[in-house]
Amino acid sequence: MSKFKIKAFFAQLLALILAAPMIAWAGGGGGPFDAGTFSAIKVGLVVFAIFSAWLIKDKMGLPLPKLIQAPLLWIICYIGFRVILQPPIPFSLLAMYMGVCTVCIFLYCSLTRPSWEEFSHPIAVMLREDHATAKMSRYATFLIIPGLIAAQTYNQMLPKFGEPIELRTVHPAPPASINVHKKLVTLQTAENPFRIGDDGNYLKVGDEQKYFGGNAWTGDVPKFLQEVQQGGVVFFGTAGCFFCHGDNLDGKGPFSFAFNPIPANFADPGTISQLQETFVFWRVAKGGPDLSREAFPWASAMPPWEKHLTTNEIWKVIIFEYWHTGFFPRTWG
Amino acid sequence: MLNLSGEKKKKVGAWLLLSMIGMLVLLPFAPAVVMAAEEAAVEEAKEPEKAKDVFYKEEGEFGIVSGPPAGELVYPDDYGSYGDFQSRTIIWISNQQHLYFGSFVLAVPMFVWVMELIGILQYEKNPKVGKKFDDLAHEMMKISLTAYSVTAILGGILIFSFLALYPGFFRYLSGIFKPVMHIYALLFILESGVLYVYYYGWDSMNDGNGDWKWSHLSLGTILNAVGIVLMVMANTWVSFMMSPAGVDAEGRFLGDIWKVMHNPLMVPVVVHRILGNAAFGGGVVAAYASFKFLSAKTLEEKAHYDWMSYIAMFMGILALIPLPFAGYWLMREIYAYRQQMGITLMGGLLAWVFIMQATMIATLFITVNYYLFQAMGRMPGSERYYKYFKVLLAILVVATIAWLTPHTLVMTPAELKAMGGAQHPVVGNYGVMSAKNTAINTMITTTVVSFIIYQRSNFKLTVPWAWKGNIFLAMLILGAEVNILFLGVYGYFIPANVRIGLSVPQVASTLSVLFIGVAVNTKMLKGAESIGEIRWGKMSVRGAYALFMLAVAFTWTMAVMGYLRSSVRLHWHVNEILRDNSPWAFTNPLGYAGNINSLNVLLFWTMLLFVFWLSALAGAGKKKVEAEEAAAAAVGKAVPAGSH
Repeated sequence: MSKFKIKAFFAQLLALILAAPMIAWAGGGGGPFDAGTFSAIKVGLVVFAIFSAWLIKDKMGLPLPKLIQAPLLWIICYIGFRVILQPPIPFSLLAMYMGVCTVCIFLYCSLTRPSWEEFSHPIAVMLREDHATAKMSRYATFLIIPGLIAAQTYNQMLPKFGEPIELRTVHPAPPASINVHKKLVTLQTAENPFRIGDDGNYLKVGDEQKYFGGNAWTGDVPKFLQEVQQGGVVFFGTAGCFFCHGDNLDGKGPFSFAFNPIPANFADPGTISQLQETFVFWRVAKGGPDLSREAFPWASAMPPWEKHLTTNEIWKVIIFEYWHTGFFPRTWG
Repeated sequence: MLNLSGEKKKKVGAWLLLSMIGMLVLLPFAPAVVMAAEEAAVEEAKEPEKAKDVFYKEEGEFGIVSGPPAGELVYPDDYGSYGDFQSRTIIWISNQQHLYFGSFVLAVPMFVWVMELIGILQYEKNPKVGKKFDDLAHEMMKISLTAYSVTAILGGILIFSFLALYPGFFRYLSGIFKPVMHIYALLFILESGVLYVYYYGWDSMNDGNGDWKWSHLSLGTILNAVGIVLMVMANTWVSFMMSPAGVDAEGRFLGDIWKVMHNPLMVPVVVHRILGNAAFGGGVVAAYASFKFLSAKTLEEKAHYDWMSYIAMFMGILALIPLPFAGYWLMREIYAYRQQMGITLMGGLLAWVFIMQATMIATLFITVNYYLFQAMGRMPGSERYYKYFKVLLAILVVATIAWLTPHTLVMTPAELKAMGGAQHPVVGNYGVMSAKNTAINTMITTTVVSFIIYQRSNFKLTVPWAWKGNIFLAMLILGAEVNILFLGVYGYFIPANVRIGLSVPQVASTLSVLFIGVAVNTKMLKGAESIGEIRWGKMSVRGAYALFMLAVAFTWTMAVMGYLRSSVRLHWHVNEILRDNSPWAFTNPLGYAGNINSLNVLLFWTMLLFVFWLSALAGAGKKKVEAEEAAAAAVGKAVPAGSH
């Protein structure tokens, strides 16, 4: 193993570790790259990392010992999830991801008998042998591990002033039926009355796809798009939903960051596309004050729109939301 | 022990046995006949009141009121307690323990039946191999027998707990299921009778692959059939509690017990539990074999238990692979039955329990693959494939991360703001069903690939079309995975009802790899040149621990999912019919639920280790007697001279 190879390897490694936060900063909103370029850079970085590893291992003939590979892999995973992945993920998710990585790195080191021996042999030497190097590493290990545990304990015991963690139920179960404008709406079976096709019949969920991408605001449009148009009027006019839910329905309206939690992002595949139209009807009509018992911690600034909109307006704004985002409501048919 | 010498005695013995079983089979129908007579008498006596079924529509909508209303339970009159301790937790633990052992004693006979059948079929070709399988089946039955009495004791404890702590609820449920309660009890007698004849007749009825052996296997068939019927009946009670049918809105029984039993969630629950039981049985037997493998003193013993653990693991995995699909079907039916239930489970209050379950499922698949990698360590020639292990592991890690990503995140308000919404723009995409389906199908496909490698690891292919076969296999696996990924991504752009349909081609891709891939691989291995025999007993201890982990993960999954299925009823004993008015009607905090589930797992394994120890004790006694007999026989024999 030549000194040149070792130097080259460590230089690459260092460059990789240092580059990650810089690239993350560059794409973190105020940086010079737009989101698309930034994603391309991230993909490029991962490809480069894999290529470098292959180059170092197979071409430069520098197989890293498993005992070094393991922490190095762990650090790379950590940088990936903590720094490269933007916006930052919550700590609970990071802990889950790192838990999986930690277990799998251990499994990787013990996949076969030779790799397990390679991994465990230096540990056995460190624990058993009596020569100076073994002794020194033994002392260092027995100092570092308790030290790390002590630091972790200290950190945990430190008083924290941030808001506590909330296990918020984002999609609480709806009631079986609700009363809106003195009419009973059974949420399991009710249908949107404005889901009407060109032939005047009920438009099955999925069939509205042909109207996606069109302009609902030009002259003579089909019946369905007329309903969308009126729903849009409610969204941007009568109710002014866009102040919170945003022009693009992405939850980033001008008022949104004044709320805690911030308003729902309908453009995300995890919100309205996972729900039946009747669920959305319930949320719009009843708002935060009528959240069900399980909707802990009942944190919602959504007004009960039944007090301001007619039942028809509520159904129409729902049609508009699905049309605008290009999602379909959940059905079981 | 039966004395079966002599043709006449054999015939008499066989007739006696058959008549006894015949009588036992007919026994459960006695209460049904009596009930039918009772019902006819009631019908004649007065003009029946009719009421609307809460579930059945159209033709079967109305039924004759045949029972009292569910009424309102009152605390403390209809509930019992021991001090301040939650009565619900006592029921929870006793129920879970009974279910564990019940599953075990129902699953092991399935496993044993297959082993015995293989033994019989192998006997003609190779009596030694046939005997090996037969001994394995016999050994497992021995453990099952001890566990059987534990199951009965736990069943008794459960009944007493219901009577003491939830008398009002138990009164209602036993009133509804009155027509079949005694059938259930009598089926138990039948099950016990057949079980004892099956176990104690093992040696007496063992004539290799002759008529007696086949008769013995038939007993195993009856045993399994009765076991499955028992399980189906017990499942109808829990599925009735989730999705009642055959009663009116007041909870009055409408006279048709089949409607009560055949409630909307009954079939998917039954299918899911049968598969779950089979997987669990395989896992526990594998854990037993691993336990024996780790404690074995000789290489011969190690080899036996290494082989046994492999067979058990294999059986468990066969049932595990279709299990996620059965679970998916069950969830679909739950959503279709009540939207609220589905949302509470997967997106709402209980979503985090699903993440716990997802962790366990991922653990199962990673462990199976890891075990196969370890098992290949004892196969000469497997070194060729070592380089692929890390690739397979990396695929599993990526799939696991997608599989585990929750839809509802735990975070501080500051983290929520930093993220820009409740869902993360990148990993938020993994929180929905499209990603989950893709992840689980990828995990299963990867597991099948590991198995294909395992199959060929100590062979050199000799068929002339080997290279074509390899290309076909590579294309099959790659094509399936591309299809799974494509459909996963496509699922984000289509309506939910179509998206659910996409799971079918995804599963079809996975199953194609499983069935076609394994079949082609097996065909390619025909006449293959062996690089060396499998060195049974030489597996690393990590492989044995992996199997232990597999079995523990099975039991943990059962605890978590059982809790989930039960708590989705929220404050209802019987959904929308009988309200839980006890002080324990609230949903448990996650931490408490996690602790009780873990306690259940710990309790089960403690008891099971006791059962393993008991069986080892019996085995040790037998070995000692054999050694003494051998020593006694050796007395007086000539001893060859030797040096000292």
